[in-house]
Amino acid sequence: MTATLLVTGAGGVGKTTVAAAVAVRAARHGMRTLVVTVDPARRLASALGLADLGNEPQPHADEPDLWAAMLDSGASWRAVAERHADPDVAVRLAENDFFQAAAEHFPASQSYAAADQAATYVQARAWDLVVVDTPPSGGGIDFFTAPAQMADLVGGRLLRWITGGPFPGRRFFYDRAARPVLRVADSVLGSDLLQRVAEFLLDLRTTYDGVAQRGREIERVMREASIFVITTADPAPMSEAIRFYRELPRLASTPEAVIFNRSLPDRWVQAGEPELDPVVKPVVEMWAAETLRQRDFRDEFSARYGARVATIPWSSDPPNDLDDLAGLAERAVGIPWERLGIS
Amino acid sequence: MLDSRLVIVSGKGGVGKSAVAAALALLAQRQGKRVLAVEMGSPGGLATHFSTGDLGFEPREVRPGLHAMMVVRSAALLEYLSLQLRLPGIGRFGAVARAFDALATAAPAVREIITIGKIYWEVQADRWDIVIADAPPAGQLGSYLRAPRSIAELVPSGRVRNQGDAMAGLLANPDLTRLVLVTLPEELPTTETVETIEWLGEEDVVGPPTVMVNRVLPELASAGRPGGTAGEIVDLHRSLLAEQEHWMKVLPGDMALPYLFGLFTPGEVAAHLSDTLEGLL
Repeated sequence: MTATLLVTGAGGVGKTTVAAAVAVRAARHGMRTLVVTVDPARRLASALGLADLGNEPQPHADEPDLWAAMLDSGASWRAVAERHADPDVAVRLAENDFFQAAAEHFPASQSYAAADQAATYVQARAWDLVVVDTPPSGGGIDFFTAPAQMADLVGGRLLRWITGGPFPGRRFFYDRAARPVLRVADSVLGSDLLQRVAEFLLDLRTTYDGVAQRGREIERVMREASIFVITTADPAPMSEAIRFYRELPRLASTPEAVIFNRSLPDRWVQAGEPELDPVVKPVVEMWAAETLRQRDFRDEFSARYGARVATIPWSSDPPNDLDDLAGLAERAVGIPWERLGIS
Repeated sequence: MLDSRLVIVSGKGGVGKSAVAAALALLAQRQGKRVLAVEMGSPGGLATHFSTGDLGFEPREVRPGLHAMMVVRSAALLEYLSLQLRLPGIGRFGAVARAFDALATAAPAVREIITIGKIYWEVQADRWDIVIADAPPAGQLGSYLRAPRSIAELVPSGRVRNQGDAMAGLLANPDLTRLVLVTLPEELPTTETVETIEWLGEEDVVGPPTVMVNRVLPELASAGRPGGTAGEIVDLHRSLLAEQEHWMKVLPGDMALPYLFGLFTPGEVAAHLSDTLEGLL
């Protein structure tokens, strides 16, 4: 049985670092652990042994139970085509200008690729725990809606719109004079752009059955996964965290915990001793006030959403190696490790 | 900066881009300008900083003289086709609009040209003294700024092409358009900002950007270390300052915005930042 942990949250809150720290902790606990990551900082990537970026999980040279893989959305999209289309169609798709454009533009595409890749690793049953650092696109919630959106994209809705009717045969597009829609479009665009898009969508549609079925599998993996929401106590990431707590129970499952990164220790609330150096005093008072605000925020969040709250202390040093990451997990307070099978 | 007609605010996710865009809009409003703030991509960013509900395609007055809107692609597309490309009866010609919607999902530069097209439309409409755009993150910024030129490669002639040329002209004119890159004195935002500045310099699609370094901690002039918890605080502050200094050296920081402590809502953050910007601009 492979346990899955989805680590989600707004951009810039340290999601990737927390995912890596949890994975290191699990691996050192003796669980075969894979961490799937998106866009790690250079130091973090090298700590995880991801110096040669690859889509395939790599075992860590110095940590026997730790594996890491990096997400490459372009490569994952090609994999979707190769898995779900006939070989000649897959080649045609991969070489099509619009394929790459759709991979970049369709907001859910990177999320779909990540979710598909993560689900593949979970289903491989090669690890005890798969930790997924979710991509931040669309505020992060995209990751959970991506399978449905993807099925919708390849399902031909757009294609039906272009043709204004039932699914056409390929021949249809070579008889464009019959379609006022295409004539108007061509006159506006001054080219046969729309026809080329339609041909692309026609190819993409052949992947529908595969993608729709795969989407259901991915959704099942998500519903069975544990979720950690990462945030800082800053106002903007907090509004994102609230959104996750409101929407995730419907889309996947209720998060196991909200983890406040960059937390300050409660005892700092009392730090403004009167005899302080007048240069130091305002700085100390500023941090004391911030500590109080953070504590209020966490208490309110926990009360309002019934959330289990965990904290990771604020540190200036980005983790450089596995020991740093393990130390970060060690200093965390309140993470429900037991839910991941770590005592 | 606020004398230009269009300010585009971008930066990596999580650096406070929407807060800065909202703060600039609030400042311009205080100066008595007619302001339109536009959410280009990620829904919610600007709205929370104005403490309003979700924004729609129709500009809504969120403060006296300050309107805000979000570029909703399907609505922008209809408007683009009917007003800018002057296609007659587009409302009745739903199939054409839907076909373009498909195009916007799958074809390079089409989605971007619709979004930039809406902003161009508002800038030249004369309803506003200044338009402030909360742009997509720096990673996607290029595809938007390049869109007017990319569309020229895709569409060799016709109305779309002419419209694209006009947009490219607006973006490239430094008297009319200013780009603000918001960043933090941390590794990933710094690296991305430096890369963005590099390609901007090579491509000449927009004038040189103004870099605003956000969440800058105050200096600590004293060398002493108090005992107790105050000492712990000073230790953290100093180590954060060292990290900050390291990345500030790499960044061409035109402006430093302070780390705002003790605030509870995005609305408070935007209001404080606009006060700071008033002193800096």
